[in-house]
Amino acid sequence: MAETTSNADSLDVDLRATIDRSLRHPVMFFFSSGAVWLALSIILGLIASAKKHAPDFLSCFSFLDAGKVDAAHMSTLTYGWGAQAAFGMLIWLMARLSRKECTASGIILVAGHVWNAAVAYGVLCIMGSGSLGPWFESSGIAGMEFPGGVWVVLLVSFILISIWSLIQFQVRDAGHVYVSQWYLLAAMLWLPWIMVTAWLFVFVFDGSPLMATGIASWFKGTVFALFFLPVALASAYYLAPKVTGRPVYSYNIALFGFWSLAVIGPWVGMQKLAGAPIPQFLPAAGAAAMVMILIPALSVGVNILRTVQGHGKAIALSPSMRFTASGIVLFVGYGVLSFALNNNIGLKVSQFSYAGYGLDILGLYGVFSLCAFGAIYFIVPRITRREWLSRRFIRWHFYLSLYGLASIVICAVVGGVFQGQGTEDLTQPFLTGARRAAAYGWGITLAWGFLLLANLFFCLHLLLMWARLGRRSSHPTLLNKHHSESPHGPEGEVDNYGSATI
Amino acid sequence: MTFKSFIFGLLASFGLPWLAVVVFPFSKMRALEPAKFEEGDRKGLAYSPMRDGRVNEGSKIYGQEGCYHCHTQLIRPTYAGPDVHRDEWAGLRLTADNPDTRRETVPTDYDGEDVAHIGLGRVGPDLSNLGRRLDHYLKGRDLTPETWLYLHLYSPRTNAGYVENDQEIHSHSTCPSKSGLFKEIPAVQAGGQALPLYTPEGVAVIPTDRARALVSYLASLKKDTLGAPLPEAYNLNPTAPTKE
Repeated sequence: MAETTSNADSLDVDLRATIDRSLRHPVMFFFSSGAVWLALSIILGLIASAKKHAPDFLSCFSFLDAGKVDAAHMSTLTYGWGAQAAFGMLIWLMARLSRKECTASGIILVAGHVWNAAVAYGVLCIMGSGSLGPWFESSGIAGMEFPGGVWVVLLVSFILISIWSLIQFQVRDAGHVYVSQWYLLAAMLWLPWIMVTAWLFVFVFDGSPLMATGIASWFKGTVFALFFLPVALASAYYLAPKVTGRPVYSYNIALFGFWSLAVIGPWVGMQKLAGAPIPQFLPAAGAAAMVMILIPALSVGVNILRTVQGHGKAIALSPSMRFTASGIVLFVGYGVLSFALNNNIGLKVSQFSYAGYGLDILGLYGVFSLCAFGAIYFIVPRITRREWLSRRFIRWHFYLSLYGLASIVICAVVGGVFQGQGTEDLTQPFLTGARRAAAYGWGITLAWGFLLLANLFFCLHLLLMWARLGRRSSHPTLLNKHHSESPHGPEGEVDNYGSATI
Repeated sequence: MTFKSFIFGLLASFGLPWLAVVVFPFSKMRALEPAKFEEGDRKGLAYSPMRDGRVNEGSKIYGQEGCYHCHTQLIRPTYAGPDVHRDEWAGLRLTADNPDTRRETVPTDYDGEDVAHIGLGRVGPDLSNLGRRLDHYLKGRDLTPETWLYLHLYSPRTNAGYVENDQEIHSHSTCPSKSGLFKEIPAVQAGGQALPLYTPEGVAVIPTDRARALVSYLASLKKDTLGAPLPEAYNLNPTAPTKE
């Protein structure tokens, strides 16, 4: 009896090893090139923020002009880092959960290079508009700054990257469908739909200039709510039970959390156009949806945190769990902040102030990226068959990320509320509001510096792993001094292919 | 939950908002009925707004230079914000010379542009009425709005000054310089194009074609109704609050 079990276990280990091997190159490519884009994006964010309060900073370079750096910063953060980290998570999680190895890693890798080239070209267009010639001109549309053609290339590469995961799901041996798989499947279907819609309605069809702006704003909102969020939540729903060895707390809450996001998510985005001469219900629906994001945030938060409750040690010791749990706590925070900034009092001060930027960064860096870091700390040792080199690097990455993020969000929201109130107050000249914000702008610039430091640790660490310089050991790198107790199971059972239960 | 019901659920939950916030509003907004005059000698005639300048080209450059990150072009109705009452943002106030022309933004304000630059933030002031505001402030001064704009783009903190509440405020602009839109050439080649700046001997600064298009666009931003009456449906000028 014991023999058959261990036989089944070893078959299982073999299968997981095969899956990991089949995905090694594309996943490592997505994670490491994403990390480099992230570092670049943070540098651009620092410059962009500095220019808000010190307008002459680096003003001798016209490609670093304030508006261009802002656009390049958000584009690299979203499409250079965010999307690629999400692709790596998506293809690995789907293969593992469907228990199918990937047979198209070559195509995925090529599509990944095309994606990178398209993003790089798009960023060149943003920064080189007016100086690099007619082939390098950005669209100049807020939220969709890449030129029209780039979006088509991005869409085709995304389909070539994700279609194999859809096939894996379809041909999997019948069985349980995991909560993570709902989110991944939905994200794979939503993103192309959103991209096709935005491309057609913004770049192809000839319509009102107001709707072009509105739909680009809807695009930016839904890409976060219906692609980045679901992928981050899929990873959390995978890691929380996996690391703690417990099933998800409640299937019904999971179901509710998923469908509430599916119902609320598609409405977000147009709240940025409140007061514009478009049908009034568009910004109203957008603002209402942003307020109601609190519903999925609370349900996912309760569900994941109840799953890991009582496993404080797992959160303390496992880098994956520490990042993921923080990401989920921040998702609840995102829901609360979104509620506060998008109701009809909050929207007046957040619409055109720093506060809206704070919310965007909390979503993209706080919720999504922290969950992505958690997934990366889990996945990379399994596919490279090496362990992370330094727990100190991981710890620095964690604390600096959290500290920098908190500083950005607090400065942006507090400064933004003062700025918004100053602008609304007619007894004060306009400059009062602008000056109030500038003081907090300093804080934001400084905080990007902390995030830059955090990501130098992360990027360096990841590139060392990519170069296969990780530790050859069967003990995972945990955040304690001694490997006496491990949340991944007792010593000896741990192997580089993953823990013994899937 | 079967796969089929899952897909059906996704189609329904995404499809409905997709129709409601993208497809229907898009088709509605692309074919807006022109507003008609309801009174006076133009009664029954359709309102057709007029703009001059290199609007389409300049609007594109405005976007490419990323001006929308710090400047808005939107005068919100009072339920969404008090923009109408802020200085000359929404039009000129009632004086002996001109009627009260302040009003909210209407869809035709963006005519001729590919995309409406609503804007993401207000680090700088709203530009909806920039062209008319400059006409007003520079009245009686030896500076055209175009030249003021060139100087502002080239060197925002040393130009002829920023005016608010009828007071000239110097060097308080936090606008970054867009000196990349200008070039330095030998003064003898500048002709009449050189900007009125103190430059080294023999050197002149002239605007590039991009700067010309951008400035032409900025000067065209006149969202008040001086000269041309607005149809009643668009005339949303609310009464100003009494000063405290």
